[in-house]
Amino acid sequence: MANNLLAGKVGIISGALNDQSIAWKVAQKAHAEGARFVLTNAPLAMRMGEINKLSEECNAPIIPADATSTEELEALFSGAQEQLGGKIDFVLHSIGMSANIRKKKHYGELDYKFFNQTIDVSALSFHKMMAVAEKQDAMNEWGSIVALSYIAAQRAFLDYTDMTQAKAMLESIARSYGQRFGKLKKVRVNTISQSPTKTTAGTGITGFDAFYNFADMMSPLGNAPAEACADYCIAMFSDLTRYVTMQNLMHDGGFSTTGISAEVVDLLTKAAGAQE
Amino acid sequence: MSEIAEKVKAIIIDKLGVEASEVTTEASFTNDLGADSLDTVELIMEFEKEFNVSIPDDQAENIGTVGQAISYLEEHAK
Repeated sequence: MANNLLAGKVGIISGALNDQSIAWKVAQKAHAEGARFVLTNAPLAMRMGEINKLSEECNAPIIPADATSTEELEALFSGAQEQLGGKIDFVLHSIGMSANIRKKKHYGELDYKFFNQTIDVSALSFHKMMAVAEKQDAMNEWGSIVALSYIAAQRAFLDYTDMTQAKAMLESIARSYGQRFGKLKKVRVNTISQSPTKTTAGTGITGFDAFYNFADMMSPLGNAPAEACADYCIAMFSDLTRYVTMQNLMHDGGFSTTGISAEVVDLLTKAAGAQE
Repeated sequence: MSEIAEKVKAIIIDKLGVEASEVTTEASFTNDLGADSLDTVELIMEFEKEFNVSIPDDQAENIGTVGQAISYLEEHAK
């Protein structure tokens, strides 16, 4: 259901790999809400995914950029302003990668070269994006910048290993840059902490199905689907949320404030019964 | 071993962090050398760069082992 919430707004959407991606759904919804935007992804992710399809569907140009490279981000922001004909109103950061997770390293045997790469790709890239936007004076006043996070930033999750630290840093960068950008340009910066989601990135984590199901049983509303996360992003890009900034916004069906649920009690009771 | 085969093996050792002894002609990137989907795309892109070729996606799908990579590149490298 479109309400023209983003009519006249222009933006940059990163991280749309395929139609499972949250960023993919954000792009579709932003398009439906009247926004114009450029899509961006790392060349490797572009090759792996199907971003051309989305580009056609949303009439959105693609500017490839490695988000760890300030030079490529400079080209992205200047190219986006050129192609969209003005300053930027919204930015979605949906970028994360851990070679330690991909290589199934447990927390005690993390490869530090990979660890640094995880931080660089998944957290520092957010700072770099905003620093480039600031230096180019690329953001419109009351612009909105959103990055996607996960509750492992606050709580320990066994197999999320170094992404845990990356997400903690990502959320911290949102606060620090939110303070700076708010003062400078009235730009707001937030992270959305999303339920586990069956995307290419999510399902790469060992034990994903188990913690997906656990979170679903714990959350009174169930896990928030990718589609609903995209709706939340659109709301955050719209003028209806102008004074929300420097927040980590839980979009998790109630998971983060639930102690235990009837479903989990039932499951454990049955498991105990089976053992007797 | 041809020069191309040697280069291909060096790329695989570097990108996948595996031992030279594991990189046999029959070795599958995913089943034997621990590559995930991102690694395999990265390998294809690295081959393209190193050998100055463009490997279309439908052909890249058929390159699943060290030997398949070597024979494709021996045929197509400029």
